[in-house]
Formats: sequence, structure tokens, C-alpha cells
Amino acid sequence: MFKLEEILNILSMLILISAFILVANKRVNSYIKTFRLQSMLLAAAAGTLGIYHMAAERKFDSAIIMCLLIILLKVIFIPGMLNRICKRVEYKVEKDFFINIPISIIICCGLAILVWYVISLIPDIKGAYEIMFLTNSISLVMIGLFFMISRKKAIGQIIGFLVIENGMFMAALLTTFGMPMIVEIGIFFDVLAAVLIMGVFVFRINESFDSIDIDKLRNLRG
Amino acid sequence: MFQGIVKIVVQLIITAALAPLVSGIIKKLKARVQHRKGASVFQGYFDLLKLFKKDVVVSHNASWIFTATPYIYFVSILAASLFVPAIPQLFSFGFIGDAVLVVYLIAIGRFFMALSGMDTGSTFTGMGSSREMMISALIEPSMMLVLFTVGLNPLVGSLSFQAIYKGFAAPGWGFVSPSYLLLLISMLIIVIAETARIPVDDPSTHLELTMVHEAMLLEYSGRHLALMEISASIKQLLLITVICNVFIPFGSNAGVIQALGLYVLKVLVISGVIAVIEINSVKLRLFSVPNHAALAFILAVLGFMSSFVFGR
Repeated sequence: MFKLEEILNILSMLILISAFILVANKRVNSYIKTFRLQSMLLAAAAGTLGIYHMAAERKFDSAIIMCLLIILLKVIFIPGMLNRICKRVEYKVEKDFFINIPISIIICCGLAILVWYVISLIPDIKGAYEIMFLTNSISLVMIGLFFMISRKKAIGQIIGFLVIENGMFMAALLTTFGMPMIVEIGIFFDVLAAVLIMGVFVFRINESFDSIDIDKLRNLRG
Repeated sequence: MFQGIVKIVVQLIITAALAPLVSGIIKKLKARVQHRKGASVFQGYFDLLKLFKKDVVVSHNASWIFTATPYIYFVSILAASLFVPAIPQLFSFGFIGDAVLVVYLIAIGRFFMALSGMDTGSTFTGMGSSREMMISALIEPSMMLVLFTVGLNPLVGSLSFQAIYKGFAAPGWGFVSPSYLLLLISMLIIVIAETARIPVDDPSTHLELTMVHEAMLLEYSGRHLALMEISASIKQLLLITVICNVFIPFGSNAGVIQALGLYVLKVLVISGVIAVIEINSVKLRLFSVPNHAALAFILAVLGFMSSFVFGR
């Protein structure tokens, strides 16, 4: 009924929309919810790709394993862990931003337009779909980066890091239809380890400074 | 000529008959989810009948604006609804750019409503007016941008609702594209803000410091209040109709009876979606409304970009 590119295109746009929704949020639990939604969409993209390839080539495709891994790690495990951290730390709402929300949404839109412009300057990309996939995923990376620097609290920064990773994964998945299996798994375990370490850091920071505001990390304590 | 008049009358009857029902259905759904029994879906009609029978009380300090506003609001919204008929067969008139006219017909009604809120000098109504103007100033640009993008779509190529309906009515899934998705989500946020639904304003409160739309109606009574209420629900139906015919254009070029049935079904589905959004969200602080408005605007801008840069 639909062409594969058509579905992937729409899914990639939905993932970009979820990044914008993430920037508009200010509650930590809605960060986690939105991230979970974004990862589900990413898993759906990987799953569609795998199913289409399996139907076309009649052999097993590694994108299915990617889909299952995303569901296991990014939909179930990492958000669950962040929720647990969130419960142990007393703040729930992010109050003081470096930049307020409407302006940061507009900046993100500017970033997306900039990415579109830059991608359109690359001469070797042919085809509207490839340009669209690349712009959406690189915009996602940029928005994650911006999210990381615009939020003061540590959990927001972890989420920003994860969004950047989602963007990279999406770029690899949609433009090259999946990197080699072993590389993907390596990246996944990298992210997992990074998030685990960051989670432990958040606990430690919270214990020794009574807050996870990164502004307070300036003074030393023995 | 005669045919045109029949079409106008049919459209007015559909609008006026369906509008309170949509509000009633949303209320009923909300009540069922909260494990309440809730009022009947036809309660809106009974309320209107009762209000039309009651006397009108007008403050001594009120000027002519206060008494004229309900009629102006009602007529402007009804006129706007003639440009956005339920099904394409009911188009009686239209011209290039009538999409812009619809937005500003809604704005006229809102302008007079805000004036009447400030007219009596009551503090509550004045507060409601200034809030309403703030929200509308935030929402109107995104609505214009959505309509422009839809109108300039290669399938349509004109800013009149007749061309928009016709352009999207082609069978199949040709209308689904990334820019369509962005515009649809933007439009949902717009509809919720325009119809004073929960994340922006609570339609079921009558004496709260946070109310916006209800605050402006505090001084009205009797048939004036009835007119204001029915105009609000017609506005809601109008915006839902825009979503129905522009974003879910299935079967609108079938036979008249079939298309009308599908239209009612689509309206019910969208009211269900609005009710679900309302159930799952809490009322925002007034100063958080710009965040959502910015989201709606930016999604519309991205839809515009995507439609023009990629042609999709």
C-alpha cells in the first residue's frame, strides 16, 4: 500500500516532532515519557525497515534485532532507570532555564532550518527522501545538543545525550539502511554504560551537594 | 439561485443542530472516564431552551456594545461556518482567499467579546478579555500559517476552501506527507486553544481565577448568554469541520447522504480525540500557554518549510 520510503519519512518526521515536544516540556517525568515515545518511534522505524527487507529478500534482516534491542534498552530499561533516579531526587520541575521555552523552541526551529540549508548544499545527495532523512536526523542531533546546554539539571542533560544518540542512530539507519550488526551493538552498550555511569553520578552529586543543579558544582568539598 | 439558498439553509441547520451535541458528547465522554454518570448528551439543547426563556439583565453601566455583542458574535461565526460547509456538495459561495476571511470573521467575534468584557467594568470580565486577547494573538499566526500552507499545496493551489476541499478529496492516501503531519498536530493545538479546552482554559469552571472564556461571559444572562454559548459551540464545530475536511478527507466526494454520514462519524471521532486530550492533561498556568503556542507555530513553520523546500 505504502512505499517503504514514505513510511520511514513520516516516522522520521514524527521523531523530529517528538524532539520539539521534548524541548517544550519542563517536567522531568515528561522528559522521560517523551524520550520513551521517541524511542518507540525509532523502534517502529527499525522494525518497518526490517520487515520490508525480509519480505523483499526472503532472508533474515538484522534490523529486526536492532528493533528488539531498542525496545529492550531505550523503551524499557533506560527510561525505567531514569524514573528510579527521578524518584530519589527531590526536584520535579525545572524552574530556571538559561533561555525560556518559547525562545528555545524558536532556536530549535532555526537549527532545523539551518540543517536543511546545509544538507541541501551537499552536492552528492540525490533524491528528496535521502535529503529529508538526513535533515531530520541531523536536526535531531542538533536539538539534543541544544537541549543539553539549555537545561541546568543533570537529568535533562542525560536526556539530551540520549536524544543525540537517537539522532545518530536514525541517520545511520535511514540513510544506509543499518550499519553492520556488531557496530550497532557496540554503540548500544556504549550508551548503556554511559547512562549507568551518569546515573550513579547524579546520585553522588545529589548526596554531596543536596541538589543536582550543575551551577553548584563549582565549589569543592572534601 | 434557489439551489444556493437551499444549500445555505441546509448548512445552517446542520451547524446549529450538531454544535451543542458535540459539546455534549465531549462532556459525556469526560464524565464516563471519571466514573461519573454525567449529563445527557442533549443537555446543551435543554440549557439553551431554558436560557432563551429567561429574562435579560443588563448592567446600568453597560453601553450598546454589551447588548450588540451576542448578535455580532453569533452572526459572524455563522457567516464563517457558511464558508466551511460540512461536505463539499454544500458549497454555495466562496472566492479566492476566503480562508483568510474565515479566520478574521472569527476574530471579529472575539474582538467584540473582549470589548463587551471590558464594557461593564467588572474586574473578572476585564481580566478574561485581556487573557483571551493574549491567547488569540499567540494562536492566530499559526492558524494563518497552517491555512496558507494547505492552500499553497501543489494539490490545491488556491486559498479558497472550495479548492482546498477539492484538492484533498482525491481518493487514496496521496495527501499524507510529513508536512501534512506537522500541520495536523499544529492544527490540533490550535483547535484546543481556540475552543477554550483544558490545557489552555477550562470550559467547565464558572468561578475560578484561572478562567478565560467563561470569565468574559460572566455578566451575560438570558438569551444573550444563550447566543454566546451556542456561538462558542458553533466555533468549535467549525474548527473540527476544518480538520475533518482538510486533514481526513475520506469519502467527501461520495454521494450526499454517504458523505454526510461520514462527516458525522469524523466529527464524533475528533471530539473523542479532543476529550481524550482533555482527560489526560491538566490546566496550564497562563504563562505556560506561550510554550504550547510556540510549539504550534513552529510546527506550522516546519510544515511550511517542508512543503516548499521538499514539495512534500
